[in-house]
Amino acid sequence: MTVFLPIAHALVARGDLPIPAWLFAWGASIVLIVSFFALSAAWREPRFEEDHWRPLGAGLSRALLALPTQILCGVTGVFLLGVSIYAGLKGTEAPDRNFALTFLFVTAWLGIPLFSVIFGDVFRPLNPWRAVGRAVGGAFTAVAGQRPAHLTYPEALGRWPAAVGLLAVVWLEVVYGASGGVAVGLSPHAAGVAALVYSFYTLAMMAVFGVEKWCQTGEVFSVYFGMFSELGSFSVKNGRLGRRRPLAAATHWATVPGSTAMVIASIATTSYDGAQEGVLNDAIVQVFEWLTDAGLGLTASLRLSSTIFMLICFVGVGLIYMIGVRGMATVGDAPSVKKLRMGFAHTLIPIAFAYLVAHYFSLFVFQEQAQFTYLLSDPLGTATTDLFGTASGGIDFKVLSANAIWYVQVGALVIGHVVGLTLAHDRATAYWGDYRQAARSQYWMLAVMVAFTCFGLYLLSESNG
Amino acid sequence: MKSNTTRVVVGIAVVAVAVVLLIVLKDDGKSASEEVEGTSFDAPAKTDKASTGNEKGQGQPTIPTIVIKNGEPVGGIAELTYNEGDRIRFKVDSDVSEEIHVHGYDLMKDVEAGGSVSFDFPATIEGVFEAELEGRGEQIAELTVNP
Repeated sequence: MTVFLPIAHALVARGDLPIPAWLFAWGASIVLIVSFFALSAAWREPRFEEDHWRPLGAGLSRALLALPTQILCGVTGVFLLGVSIYAGLKGTEAPDRNFALTFLFVTAWLGIPLFSVIFGDVFRPLNPWRAVGRAVGGAFTAVAGQRPAHLTYPEALGRWPAAVGLLAVVWLEVVYGASGGVAVGLSPHAAGVAALVYSFYTLAMMAVFGVEKWCQTGEVFSVYFGMFSELGSFSVKNGRLGRRRPLAAATHWATVPGSTAMVIASIATTSYDGAQEGVLNDAIVQVFEWLTDAGLGLTASLRLSSTIFMLICFVGVGLIYMIGVRGMATVGDAPSVKKLRMGFAHTLIPIAFAYLVAHYFSLFVFQEQAQFTYLLSDPLGTATTDLFGTASGGIDFKVLSANAIWYVQVGALVIGHVVGLTLAHDRATAYWGDYRQAARSQYWMLAVMVAFTCFGLYLLSESNG
Repeated sequence: MKSNTTRVVVGIAVVAVAVVLLIVLKDDGKSASEEVEGTSFDAPAKTDKASTGNEKGQGQPTIPTIVIKNGEPVGGIAELTYNEGDRIRFKVDSDVSEEIHVHGYDLMKDVEAGGSVSFDFPATIEGVFEAELEGRGEQIAELTVNP
């Protein structure tokens, strides 16, 4: 019986080398030194509770937010989704030669978080489902002479549908693609079908609850990319484009139920993807063997054992955070556990972003070369089209040395750690009137952050892909 | 107040111990895997003569051979480790007709059922790469190129 998990991600042609022991030691040491320095951080008044939003030039706002621009962006989003679905359904089944997988899981899934941090919520105008939903809603209003009626969204659900959806999307990407006890990666056809199913589901939910409401709560990609955009400087308020203090908007992101689950799901799924080939490999294979011995089929066994460990990662990451929250609650004059849990959830967004960069940076750099050469000119991978004359292009794997990848990985984790600590310290000064109590509460968040960062370093030091 | 401080101190101590442990364990893991690399592959005796790409091979260690039986590598996926600048050499004896694909370097070679094929190319790209039987999608080797 063959069991192996090395290519859960079907697109990895060059896997990252584990970071060497000396870099691991340096990274962990820097994290500890930075952390103890952070304990004596000087500021005693919160600095990020207000985002100090200021409008940018009116001309720029008008040009970027005008209806024709919105329509152009929406059409672009719908077109790209359409090409992806079509390529997935009709194109080659070779994962690396098909536009669908690289576009959906690398260019969009990994690229948009990066652009969101830098430029703000870029997915909102490009969101194909929002565009279709708004167009249909507009047409309905024009024909019926009244706005479409919607059910009231149960506010208690909050962002939970998006958090569950995030787990489902990553599950599809890294767990579902199993066959005969071997992790072969998601096939382009399955990705195309999944995108189609998700489109129907999303449009149905938008029809029931309203386009904007569903984008704020249930639409996985809006909520997920929007979460990262809260870290950055640019945003739209009251129809005006503006600048705000970096990181400040994030402090008011997790005020809706399910937000904590969302950010924990993000960290957990990246952790799982990094761990499944290294740290967790033996354990997954063990459970797989138990399941096959119990009479389950090979494919079902591998999917089920992988699913179990993905959920364990979710619970584990959640537990680490909850230990920090419970710990803070023991400090004098602490707010309620619930307020603390939601009040510090945003401090994990930089950690989630750092995990993404650390685990997928090299894949993104390599795969984007494919995206803008042969995948652009030959999206179906049939070798019969050459739309832009770049079909014969390829990936230059030498653009990144192993050392460059290691430094980016460790750098991302250390920076994410520092930003997370900064946000946590700032929130503590807002919650505890007494500065000394605030500082004491932050020993707990410090332990949480050190745990996440060192765990991230540990994952990188084991084999991963 | 007192008990809180104690808890905090204990918490930080636990974290510090955990980090130290991780570093220590990490070192153990490294040396263990290096030992595995050292014992990697004993080529069958016929390799020296059968291999074609062996002109420069005088005084070289034996070339690892991956034996394919029923479309699967005997003894599991071969783990081969090189340093950047080395020549990557290995041979595949196969009982099935297949195309062998080395990812990343993107090299393809056909092998007949019952035949063998040799790879010999410079290790110019750092990273972890798989070699697989393209038709079956079966991985036969993992090539690690360290900087």
